[in-house]
Amino acid sequence: MKTWIAFCATLSLIVLATVVQPSTAVAVDAMEIVQKSQAAFFEAGQDLRARIKMVLMTREGQQRLRELTMLRKNFSAGEQKYFLYFHSPADVSGTIFMVYKYPVKDDDRWLFIPALNLVQRVAARDSRTSFVGSDFSYEDVSGRDVEADTHRVLRTEALGNRQAVVIESVPMREADYARKLTWIDQTTFLPLKEEHYDLQGELYKIFTADEIRDVQGFPTATKRTMMNMKTGHKTEVVLESVAYNVGLGDEIFTERALRRPPEKWLK
Amino acid sequence: MKSLHSESAQAVPWLTRSSVERPGWVIAGILAITLLFLTQFPQVETDTDPKNMLPATSTVRVSNDEVERWFALHKDVMVLGIVNDEGIFTQGTLERIARITHAILKIPGVVVRDVTSLTTTDNVLAEDGQLVVRPAVAEIPRIPVAMVALKQTLLSNPLFVDRLLSKDGTTTAIYVPLEGGANATVIADRIKEVLAREVGSERYYLAGDPVARDTFGIQMFYQMAILSPIAGLVMFVVLWWMFRSLTLVLAVIGVAMVSIIWSTGLLIGLGYPIHIMSSMSPVFLMAIATDSIHIFNEFGFRLREVRDKREAVFETIAAVGGPVLYSDLATAVGFVALVTVAIVPVKIFGLLVGFGTLIILLMSFTLVPAVLIQLNKDRLLQEVRSIDAASSSWLSSLGEFSVRNPKSIGIVGCALLVIAGLGLSRIEANNNMVHWFKPDSDIRTADRVMNARLGGTATAYLVIQGSTEDVMKTPAMLRDIEGLQRELEEDPRVGKTFSVVDYVELINRVLHRDAPAYDRIPDSVTEIAQGLFLFGMAAKPSDLDNVVDYPFQKANIFLQLKSWDAGVMADLLRRTEVYLQAHPLTGGATLRPAGIAYFNMVWSDEVLWGMVRSFLAGLALVLILVIIQLRSLLWGILAFLPLFFTIAFIYGVVGFVGKDFDMPVAVLSTLSLGMAIDFAIHFVGRFRRHYATEPDLEKALLWTVIRPGKGIMRNAVLFAVAFSVMVFASLTTYITVGILIIGIMLLSAVLTLVGLPALIVLFHKRLPLSSEEIPR
Repeated sequence: MKTWIAFCATLSLIVLATVVQPSTAVAVDAMEIVQKSQAAFFEAGQDLRARIKMVLMTREGQQRLRELTMLRKNFSAGEQKYFLYFHSPADVSGTIFMVYKYPVKDDDRWLFIPALNLVQRVAARDSRTSFVGSDFSYEDVSGRDVEADTHRVLRTEALGNRQAVVIESVPMREADYARKLTWIDQTTFLPLKEEHYDLQGELYKIFTADEIRDVQGFPTATKRTMMNMKTGHKTEVVLESVAYNVGLGDEIFTERALRRPPEKWLK
Repeated sequence: MKSLHSESAQAVPWLTRSSVERPGWVIAGILAITLLFLTQFPQVETDTDPKNMLPATSTVRVSNDEVERWFALHKDVMVLGIVNDEGIFTQGTLERIARITHAILKIPGVVVRDVTSLTTTDNVLAEDGQLVVRPAVAEIPRIPVAMVALKQTLLSNPLFVDRLLSKDGTTTAIYVPLEGGANATVIADRIKEVLAREVGSERYYLAGDPVARDTFGIQMFYQMAILSPIAGLVMFVVLWWMFRSLTLVLAVIGVAMVSIIWSTGLLIGLGYPIHIMSSMSPVFLMAIATDSIHIFNEFGFRLREVRDKREAVFETIAAVGGPVLYSDLATAVGFVALVTVAIVPVKIFGLLVGFGTLIILLMSFTLVPAVLIQLNKDRLLQEVRSIDAASSSWLSSLGEFSVRNPKSIGIVGCALLVIAGLGLSRIEANNNMVHWFKPDSDIRTADRVMNARLGGTATAYLVIQGSTEDVMKTPAMLRDIEGLQRELEEDPRVGKTFSVVDYVELINRVLHRDAPAYDRIPDSVTEIAQGLFLFGMAAKPSDLDNVVDYPFQKANIFLQLKSWDAGVMADLLRRTEVYLQAHPLTGGATLRPAGIAYFNMVWSDEVLWGMVRSFLAGLALVLILVIIQLRSLLWGILAFLPLFFTIAFIYGVVGFVGKDFDMPVAVLSTLSLGMAIDFAIHFVGRFRRHYATEPDLEKALLWTVIRPGKGIMRNAVLFAVAFSVMVFASLTTYITVGILIIGIMLLSAVLTLVGLPALIVLFHKRLPLSSEEIPR
């Protein structure tokens, strides 16, 4: 009975809160919430090391497995560097993808192709590209410029046992969606769910954070799924052995390291 | 009075007797049932999808569906061709292409993610030492130098040339896949609206299967709703000219209408859609209904002789009942034999017309006598008298000619048969659905333009199935595939082939700073694997999914053909087989054809052999039927000959003219079977009956040529005139059918009236002619 009352109380509070809030404040809030969410989701800690298992699944149940180690380090002025080392499939083992992410200008990207012993600069391209053939786009993996969309708080609602703010984002610059709804956890600011709508206004991609764990005090979505509603194709991502603030050196994120990867971090 | 006509009354079935007793009830009852079937009409649905030619469970469809799933391919793709003779690389044209593409993406039912256009497809290139992946036309260049560079870049991508871009840079295409169940007409109309908003010198061509199907649908309704009624009207006029009796004319039309409404109503009620074949059934049934002419024809003669309506009706039915029964049965058997064909719409068409024929038969013994008895006798006699002897006089000279020159007729017939045989040997089985449209139709124009400028509108797939996973990353296998591609490209009708090999080579070249020497398959598995991985990282995953399956065990070679002829695909498969015998695939990999062009080939074969089989079956059944009816083997064979000659001549001409033996042409053989035997049954039946009363060979033959012969000629002319309407159809299929049927009808009537008397004279010594052998 008590929980019931408590539930009703919170619900009415939420309703009140959404109704009462003036719209201008909402607009400001929305941007702020998205910024916080990006920070929590993509920038937690000083650095990060994680072993990532990615399963690509067709509607028929055929699978492709990608296994990689992700090393990420935050630098000053919002700059980030990523080092993605692929372990499997076996025939691409040793392929590395390195990204320098800047808050304003285009990313710098490199690719190391072991079979050719070739370091290849890759032009940053439009955001629609799939990340390694998965249902995630590059922006889904490393974040999108907050200023590229207009954001609006639609409502707050419970999602599972968490309270979420629902934000609608409409792109001003090219995106792989025409409209996106994001359920952002009010306490951790992690995105719990996203709905991507296409040009025809149809729901075509759903992101879900399936498992959120506390890693060294950082709430981390350790299991994520992106489902393509149109093709039935989906990608499941599991983060294993996540560790923050492990002390990644700057020398890891260099062209030289592409040819001589830091084995210590890749085990 | 009653006892007077009791004798002939005994000779007619009780159905006819009761119909004559209670004509009002019979007419009202038939009308009521007709209305009942008519209520089904609003639920009519059409099916214009050529895939439904074969049942969903057929091997080729199951296999095609499987291939579509393996490689994430779309069933229905529209193609929009955009031509600018000045070249499409101008700011205005590229802007329009971008705008049009964007507008198409917004049309509901279009598969947004897979619309392939210069502005949506990725190009992979080496630029300033960087690997760049971006839409082929990402930004529209504003300075001429940049425009030239863009053109060169795109033309150097072999995946674009002949598919997205013509070699001369004047044509591009936008491929628009449709969601399952999307309404192609609506989408095509929306695309046309989009195009209408654009001003410029570009020409647009909308092609592809879905567009063709829709045009089909419209033409089918046109055929059913406009041409069939016009055919009915024409029949009406000709009938009136023949009989000068409105009631009689209405009775014939009524019989046709009843059979059309009952059979079509039943078809719709059972939930079957109308297909291109069944859309022709009203005209067929109308033609078959003209069989009741024999009854009216005979009734006219009888009424003048006995001057009593009831007696004339009974005598007429007693005299023509047998031939009408057997000829309609033979026609029905001919059509029902079509169920042995694997082509679904042909099966349904066969049953539909077969059922309709049986209804006509039923009406001949019920509705027709009921109407005849209702007629005003005096007016009738007056009208009947006006049936002049003019046409009889030329029939009698025709009869005399045949009876007097049996040998010459036989020799000419045999000579013609030999010539027809030559034509028959030149017949080519082929189905080309684009050719069902007129040459100047939008569809054929679009098809012609796209085939001339791009790789080809007909697509087929060759699926290579390896024995192990990842085999599609091995150099040996990729070289096999490349070899096969080059071999098939030797055929000028193959406009374009592409496969995973083209992606592998492109990425290899790009990774080597566009050095042409690297436009080849790398020598190691890891190079290939990493190249493909990189491609998968960079471009749209579906691009690769279309050419290799998930475990890299199967590969898909796209073939673009410049012709929809089923023969082209058959040639390519033969070529493939020969090549693979000399160059077997690595590791015992196998090859499986798929795609719409392959599907067309399969059902085209089904049409040929299925039709031949069903035709032979029908022929045998009809022969048995005739032998039973005439109770004599020789008579049966004799009655069979006009049919045989008709078919040989008609298809001989088809062979000489070079007309493809396609589905509609093949189905006609069945109709000719039914109709030509019809005439012979009437002729032989009536001749033998008459010979029994007047055993003079020559006189009996002349009588038969003049009297029942008139019915035959009337029937044939009426038939031909009704079908002549189809010449005004806008689908060539209907036109071909119309012309051939006119030929079949007139030819079989003439062959019956000229050939049979000659044959009977030639063989009369061996024919059982004595009266006791004549069946009742």
